[in-house]
Amino acid sequence: MSTSEFLWAYLWTVLLLTLAVSLYGIIARPNMLKKIISLTILGDAVNVMVVLIGYHLTYPIAPPILPSLSKEALEGFVSSAVDPLPQALVITAVVIGMAVNMLLAVLAIQLYRLYGTLDVREIAKRGGEE
Amino acid sequence: MDVVGLTPVIPVIFAFALPLTSIIVKGNRKIIQAYALLGTGLTLISALKLFELVYSSEKPPIYTFGGWTAPIGIIYEVDRTGALITLLTAALMFLIAIYSYRYLEHEEGLEWYYTLYLGLEAGLIGVLLTGDAFNLFVMIEVTSIAAYALVAFYRGRKDAVHAALKYAFIGAIGTTMYFLALGILYGAFGTVNLADLSAKVHGLSFPVTGSPVGNIVIASGVALALATWAFLIKAAIVPNHFWLPEAHPAAPSPISAVLSGLVVNVGVYALIRFLYTVYGGELTPGLAKIVGTLGTVVIALGAVSALFGALMMNAQRDVKKLIAYSTIMHMGYLFMAVGLGTQLGLQAALFHIINHAIAKALLFLAAGMFIHAIGSRDINDMAGLGRQMPMATLGLAIATLSLVGIPPFNVFFSKLLLFDALMEKSLALAMVIVVSSVTALVAYMRVFYKIWLGKPSREVAVGESKSMAFVVLLLAAAVVVIGLAAPVILQHYIEPAATQTMDYKLYIQTALEYASRLKLL
Repeated sequence: MSTSEFLWAYLWTVLLLTLAVSLYGIIARPNMLKKIISLTILGDAVNVMVVLIGYHLTYPIAPPILPSLSKEALEGFVSSAVDPLPQALVITAVVIGMAVNMLLAVLAIQLYRLYGTLDVREIAKRGGEE
Repeated sequence: MDVVGLTPVIPVIFAFALPLTSIIVKGNRKIIQAYALLGTGLTLISALKLFELVYSSEKPPIYTFGGWTAPIGIIYEVDRTGALITLLTAALMFLIAIYSYRYLEHEEGLEWYYTLYLGLEAGLIGVLLTGDAFNLFVMIEVTSIAAYALVAFYRGRKDAVHAALKYAFIGAIGTTMYFLALGILYGAFGTVNLADLSAKVHGLSFPVTGSPVGNIVIASGVALALATWAFLIKAAIVPNHFWLPEAHPAAPSPISAVLSGLVVNVGVYALIRFLYTVYGGELTPGLAKIVGTLGTVVIALGAVSALFGALMMNAQRDVKKLIAYSTIMHMGYLFMAVGLGTQLGLQAALFHIINHAIAKALLFLAAGMFIHAIGSRDINDMAGLGRQMPMATLGLAIATLSLVGIPPFNVFFSKLLLFDALMEKSLALAMVIVVSSVTALVAYMRVFYKIWLGKPSREVAVGESKSMAFVVLLLAAAVVVIGLAAPVILQHYIEPAATQTMDYKLYIQTALEYASRLKLL
């Protein structure tokens, strides 16, 4: 196994572990804020995975910037550059993730104002009654 | 004018311009209401034009954003299924906007309500028109974020904020999983365009994107599993249903009607797109096995949802919670029908989406009139109100009778169709419809008995607002008319829609015509 292949396998293992940890955090942590942090970790792990899907393990790898506008340059570009589309998808997903996290944070603040706690066990005990 | 591109853009523009407009008009409620009616009204006109266009042309019309065709750019490709549900969405959103004004007369922040409301409409229409799996993700998020915020509209109420937080959480996990599914699909097929994906799955060639990489059976399996999970969350199918009975009742009643009638359809529609357009028809044995397994899982979960929803309806005191469990039941029916993968199943699902949306919106709006009058959601507090509010009671009666499937109301005919479609598979599945309907009937009759014949707990003089009663009556009339005209509607609208959606080759072919015009270096 070459170094790059090892790094590749290592990266995917770490990412899958991160995914598992973030799911654990969402399910098992009682604090709402910790749950929100776990959710952002989940989103980020998935984003990195999608960026990695656009990467290919053949050297040399160039960033997706076209050096000059000619047919030869374009051919070289296509064979060496990483796929820029997953990056474009991830940018969109990051922006959407920010909007969702913002909304979640606002709701969590409001929840704290109403209940005086962010512990979901405590909130569940008191229920929705006024 | 290109109505395909225009329809989702109208509500977007109206939504973004509203906060500024409300500052200019100094929060004048009448002007804001007129503005919202104009926005939803124009969308309705555009949706109507789109509907005519799609039904009069043989091929699904395409709109290319910025002139970039598939698979390079995002395209909107509208088949008859999409156009039909778009018209339904636009019409209901317009009527519910009329209803909202009086319902929210004691509330602050009408401008923010309508900003989110129009955003929600834009997202819903985007989901229905798009021909791109990634744009579908974006539009699902637009719909969802507006929906989360609208559930928390009563931001001083504990149940509303808690329910919205729960809804937003589970929704965000679902859409993240869908995004991962998209990444996997892109890694295997090199595209996220639905027509292109379908072409690759069926072994047809499509310009620019090349041929699939790696093992497409495994990639499809993982991606479909993740995507279906997300759709199950969006449509609140057991075991992902737990957010719905809290979120839908906590919202203002017009929003409950939108959520239960239209927003849950997003999950069903997206699954239809994946199962019928991308993975429809003849497949290689490996893929066919995966799609077959998925269909079985979806049918099983749908059946469990239908029975669970019907049972839980009988345990509720909160009238809106009861209706919310009924939504879970009907979503179960829809998933059972979609999972069949047959043309009859698709027809039944389509017709049921329309009937359920209208009847469920009517039910929530009629119940909302009672809630508006007394300020409580408890069935016991509503005892005896029926005689004082004849229009609301009429709406409630027609909606409940329709939803349990009493002829000649509309849901009876779609339930009949569902029954037929499920009979092709097995008798046990068809019996799920009957058993759950009877169970639901018991729950509805209890509400109805209480409201009509119950002894009032306290003396209250209540009246009915004209605009709210008008919307309720109009929807009640729609329930009856669609019921009476069911054979005609089935023949002229539902059947052509199902036939076109089953025909994935036409969907690919139309996108291909545009794609072949691409000029490369």
